[in-house]
Amino acid sequence: MGPYTRTISVGAVIVFGLVFALTGARHTTWEALLPLFEWMETTPPGVISQSYGAAFALVEAAHLIAMAVLGGAVLVADGRLLGLILRDFPLRRVLDQSHRLFVWSLAAMILTGVFMACGVALKVYYLNVFWYKMLALVTGVLFVFFVRRPLLRGDVENINPQLLRLVGIASLMIWFSVAATGRWIGFSG
Amino acid sequence: MEVFNQLIYDFAAWVDTHQWSTALHESFYVYNWVESTHVVALTLSIGMLFLIDLRMLGLAMVDIPASTLARRLSLPMFLGFTVMIITGLLLFYAIPVRSAQSLWLRIKLVLLFAAAINAWLFHRRMSTAGRSWDTAVKAPMRLQVGASLSITFWVLIVICGRLIAYDWFDCRAEPSSFIAALAGCVAGQEAF
Repeated sequence: MGPYTRTISVGAVIVFGLVFALTGARHTTWEALLPLFEWMETTPPGVISQSYGAAFALVEAAHLIAMAVLGGAVLVADGRLLGLILRDFPLRRVLDQSHRLFVWSLAAMILTGVFMACGVALKVYYLNVFWYKMLALVTGVLFVFFVRRPLLRGDVENINPQLLRLVGIASLMIWFSVAATGRWIGFSG
Repeated sequence: MEVFNQLIYDFAAWVDTHQWSTALHESFYVYNWVESTHVVALTLSIGMLFLIDLRMLGLAMVDIPASTLARRLSLPMFLGFTVMIITGLLLFYAIPVRSAQSLWLRIKLVLLFAAAINAWLFHRRMSTAGRSWDTAVKAPMRLQVGASLSITFWVLIVICGRLIAYDWFDCRAEPSSFIAALAGCVAGQEAF
């Protein structure tokens, strides 16, 4: 990709997101997803979650443990970007090692999250905070794989330190939003 | 066991008479903030701890010397645990009787004690193990055992913490006499 292709692409995603959010397309899409959520409750994970409270609780605990590991990976990587932790170790080494852990824990969170969503699909479908969390999660995933990772894949030592700090702060804010909205789901409905 | 349970119940019932206990329990925002902080602080406390344990097992951050990683992540880890202890005490203070008679909380506290002993032994072994293994992918076997036990204890602690919210073995659910004794149910106790 050229030097401005990624910038233009990110800009296009933001514009698309704003158009989607501010027009009727959002509501139309939401209505179109209802059959999917109705189907989710009939799947094996959905039936198991509804029939066995212990199964749901155990998967929820697994979700929390994966969150702890993901949070740890994010804190170490972003802490290094902000110059707060492991300062005497090469940035590249810390980023690569923590990214591996991040990917595995993200996969675990998505799997356990889908399992839990199947159990309470129609309940979360009508919860605004669930959609806020999905928005935050999609933003986080797009940010990591299409902005942060490409930016930091090159020669990180020659990147403006202020830019690195900005990336670290943005990452922390995004993943905190995912955790906070996820917690908020538990208080809703 | 009965005397112990009665003592715990009397203490919890006394705490329940506090105005602040009721205020915290009935506050929509403050209670939820305390609970949320307790859960989100997992990322700081257990997140750092799991990174250290996984390093000892050679499963993560293998390019960083093990003892260095343990030292550097200790401060944020202890900060996280401090937040969790404070919020945990507040959660107990808000709903003292149900918490004191929660089978899952009792198991969780036993596991916390076991995890603390394991951590102390681990730290002592790490201090005496020398530095020859520091850059190796895996730590010496004794430290790997300690790390494995640590992960096991903390996974069980998180599971027990999650199960506290479920009322399957609550005293008002009239569990078996064995469960009732373990949970600390007292004959003729008031309904809270």
